[in-house]
Amino acid sequence: MSDAYTPDDGSGIDATTTPGGTEHTRDEYEPVEVFPTEGMDLRPGADSCYKCSTCDTECPVAEVNDEFPGPKFQGPEQWRLKRNEDTDIDDSVMKCSNCMRCDSVCPSSVPLSQMHNTARGLYVEEQMETLSREYIRNRILSNYRTSAWLASKVPRIANVVMNFGPARWLMERTLGVTAEREFPAFATWTFREWWADRGGPRVPNDEKQVAYFHGCYSNYNTPEVGKAMVRVFEHFGYQILVPEQGCSGTPMFANGMLADAERHAETNVEGLVEAIDDGAAVIASCTSCSMALRQEYPELFDLKGIDDLAANTYEALEYLRINEDLEAALSESEVDSQSFAYHAPCHARNQGLATQAVELFEGVEGVTATDVGDSCSGISGTYGWKAENYETSMAIGEEMFEHMAADEAEVGMTECPTCAMQMEHGTGYEIRHPLQVLEAALC
Amino acid sequence: MVMASKTTVLVIGGGSTGCGIVRDLAMRGIDATLVERGNLTHGTTGRMHGLLHSGGRYAVSDQASARECIEENRVLREIAGHCVEMTGGYFVKRPEDDEAYFQEKLEGCHACDIPADVVSRKELRTDEPYLARDVEKAIRVPDGAIDPFRLCVANAADAEANGARIETHAPVTDVLVEGDRVVGVEVEHDSGPGKRVHRTPGTTEEIRAEYVVNATGAWAGRIGDMAGVDVEVRPSKGVMTIMNVRQVDSVINRCRPKGDADIIVPHETTAILGTTDEEVSDPDDYPEERWEVDLMIDTLSELVPILQEARTIRSFWGVRPLYEPPGTGTTDPTDITRDFFLLDHQERDDLEGFTSIVGGKFTTYRMMAETITDHVCEQLGVSEPCRTAEVALPGSEDLGSLDDHMDSFGLRSPIARRSGQRLGSRAAAVLSGSDPNPVVCDCEAVTRAEVRDAIDGSGSDLNAVRIRTRASMGNCQGGFCCHRLAHELSPRYEEDVVREAWDELVEERWKGERHALWGEQLSQAALNDALWATTMNMDTDPARTGVDVDFAAFDAGEYGFESEGSSGVAADGGTRGDQ
Repeated sequence: MSDAYTPDDGSGIDATTTPGGTEHTRDEYEPVEVFPTEGMDLRPGADSCYKCSTCDTECPVAEVNDEFPGPKFQGPEQWRLKRNEDTDIDDSVMKCSNCMRCDSVCPSSVPLSQMHNTARGLYVEEQMETLSREYIRNRILSNYRTSAWLASKVPRIANVVMNFGPARWLMERTLGVTAEREFPAFATWTFREWWADRGGPRVPNDEKQVAYFHGCYSNYNTPEVGKAMVRVFEHFGYQILVPEQGCSGTPMFANGMLADAERHAETNVEGLVEAIDDGAAVIASCTSCSMALRQEYPELFDLKGIDDLAANTYEALEYLRINEDLEAALSESEVDSQSFAYHAPCHARNQGLATQAVELFEGVEGVTATDVGDSCSGISGTYGWKAENYETSMAIGEEMFEHMAADEAEVGMTECPTCAMQMEHGTGYEIRHPLQVLEAALC
Repeated sequence: MVMASKTTVLVIGGGSTGCGIVRDLAMRGIDATLVERGNLTHGTTGRMHGLLHSGGRYAVSDQASARECIEENRVLREIAGHCVEMTGGYFVKRPEDDEAYFQEKLEGCHACDIPADVVSRKELRTDEPYLARDVEKAIRVPDGAIDPFRLCVANAADAEANGARIETHAPVTDVLVEGDRVVGVEVEHDSGPGKRVHRTPGTTEEIRAEYVVNATGAWAGRIGDMAGVDVEVRPSKGVMTIMNVRQVDSVINRCRPKGDADIIVPHETTAILGTTDEEVSDPDDYPEERWEVDLMIDTLSELVPILQEARTIRSFWGVRPLYEPPGTGTTDPTDITRDFFLLDHQERDDLEGFTSIVGGKFTTYRMMAETITDHVCEQLGVSEPCRTAEVALPGSEDLGSLDDHMDSFGLRSPIARRSGQRLGSRAAAVLSGSDPNPVVCDCEAVTRAEVRDAIDGSGSDLNAVRIRTRASMGNCQGGFCCHRLAHELSPRYEEDVVREAWDELVEERWKGERHALWGEQLSQAALNDALWATTMNMDTDPARTGVDVDFAAFDAGEYGFESEGSSGVAADGGTRGDQ
């Protein structure tokens, strides 16, 4: 993981610290400003690149789209060619899906996704017309939380309207949101409503606490994942906190809406750091959310406590595998025989979590989870929702669809909500979250 | 066979001074020929840090030079805009640097009409955030960066357009003296004459001239020897270390009287650290030592701490052509004047038709060229005035409208930007020259069209293509583009020519990269080696080594078979080859 490059402050300590390190030291002479004011200089990051092109060969977009110049150009080359007065960014950066696979395959720790995110932010800020169809569409898509919040007020009507043919035709024509996909259903009862209704945590425990970052999707669309998280963690005796929170920022990074992302990050960092200070670890059930809190936050923003948050954030399964004897707990369990075609999300891969679900369920009697390979699902959040990217998105997903079809399982499994959308869209399978399977086995 | 030719003025040396002189002569309508032993800029011009002086550097020690610098700084911005980047520069004071000297420097700048103002630490670090936190303040001056390669090539091209003859790879082997007069030189063409094409047989040529100008800088003593006169140049070497990226976007000078390692020049995509000053006896043979490179990084880290961990891509050494009149007796080369001297050998040595120019600085090359051209014109009785300060170089005409149409070439924006900056007003003509127009050198964003244009100008010499385009001068040092550049020579040139040109480029790249073998650049060198030696078989390719390969000696492999009368070898591709 690469941290933001910030000029040396002369104190002998890196101005940006590794996760869990000390606070930034700043005084009145420190003129370095971090985004969104212009001038985030990532040129030194190009020092690490020796052009081996592994990132280009692993980029799922470059594989199916010959026009896309690939991560090496988007990142180290474009930055290195920049002079301080240059502000223009090549528009191909908007074709990057932010899957971040380039980060995990780079043998030399080039901060590729940080370079892409920052360049995309600059592009949107400097070059995109705020009245353009693309900008408005991207703004709406990346602020999914706002739409979801509205929809959650009238979920039944929203579900009908959002998948009403003529309405979708109009959305594609006016906004460029593909009519090929079915909108995910909004829950009639959000996770937070459920949580409040049950009276919050049912297990009090001063010693073992976790703060749950449910994200938008578990709250508005799949509260069953959030509920599974709560039941599984309470099963192991954790007291669960659910702090105030906004969007993790993932769709905003991918659309270059860094100011929106930072606004949400402020809320998230404040609430989650308070919980960390009280002794809790932060748990996410979505691997893109945990990725954002762990890597993108410290790379892109400078907020008090942001490094502590990065150091204390875990994906739910990851945390349990580290801290609990899951194998022992599961060896007792009994479940109906079931098979899953498991897809590891790219963002899980970046956190070293690509094999955790398959490994875990190997020890569970009756459960078979088969890894369907290391390809990208292709949807990458809002990317595959854009009419102009739909074909690319499906071409990338083709390998995964084939492998799912070849496996005997007829149910899919993944940690990522948008990968789940794509898996369902490409195969018609029902898709589960590993926490739901765990819940069935344990609770 | 010895060719013979005639010219009015023969200029020896294709550095900035020689190129400037030949352009000036040609523009005044004088028939002129320039001969250079290597590529243009082969000597000191191609081995400097690319600083366009504001004059601030000499504002205390040598105010006459400082005034010349600021004057020429303004001229070059006008006539050579596509070679210049006006970065601005700072003389930065650290707490331990002398305050009195800082004030002296400021007053000196004002006395020499160099625009200069003091900036606070806060303003300074806002502009250059990688400067050390404890720098105190700085004097801001109009320093800039200039590309010596493009500048010389543009001067030579303009001279040719005005009727001059330019011969590179044509070392002078003798200066012809008849009685008490120099009447020409003998040169040995490596190939040709004309544009260099590898493997074309060379010739010896006797070029007779009415007047000969020795503009060979640090090598002026050698040409002097051939003519039988003493030219007491004192060559002094200096190291320059190239960083992979620009840690600073302005020229950063250390504000103190003198010393090694006191300047960082942002140059194109890189930053160049300089330098040292040490007298050497032979400008072609001197040690290139590791401590010199370490000194650059260690000392300049006091100004820009990130240099300590930043990536170095290569180092090179240049040799200053310092000169002082006999009897001055300065011992420390840093104290020798940077002024230039016109040595008329008629006045000095009773040898007619021959003048040497020594000393001087790159920034004032045009002014030096004007002085010597005036002198030559006086000898020849030509009264045409100098116009080199007013007429823009090819590529620098009408630069204002350039940005507007750079996006019409279908290039990705950073590539269009860099190409436009390099080509200046020639951009449209050059970039429309190839369709499709892929990028050949990714690091420096050089497209096929630009490479082909350079080949048009320089024959099969890929190092000449390199200095015209910057291809292979970036982060991978040619690891990924040397073979692509070589490929562009084909089919214009035959395979053996292409291979030789390719080898020569690879050798040249290695020459500097070997001084940066640690950290990331070591990984880069290892990868380059793997690509060149193994993937491309450049170390033992039979096509290169000329060794006959006994294909029958290979074993038959996994699918080998016994054919009638054979000893079990399959030299024809085996069973699969039979199908």
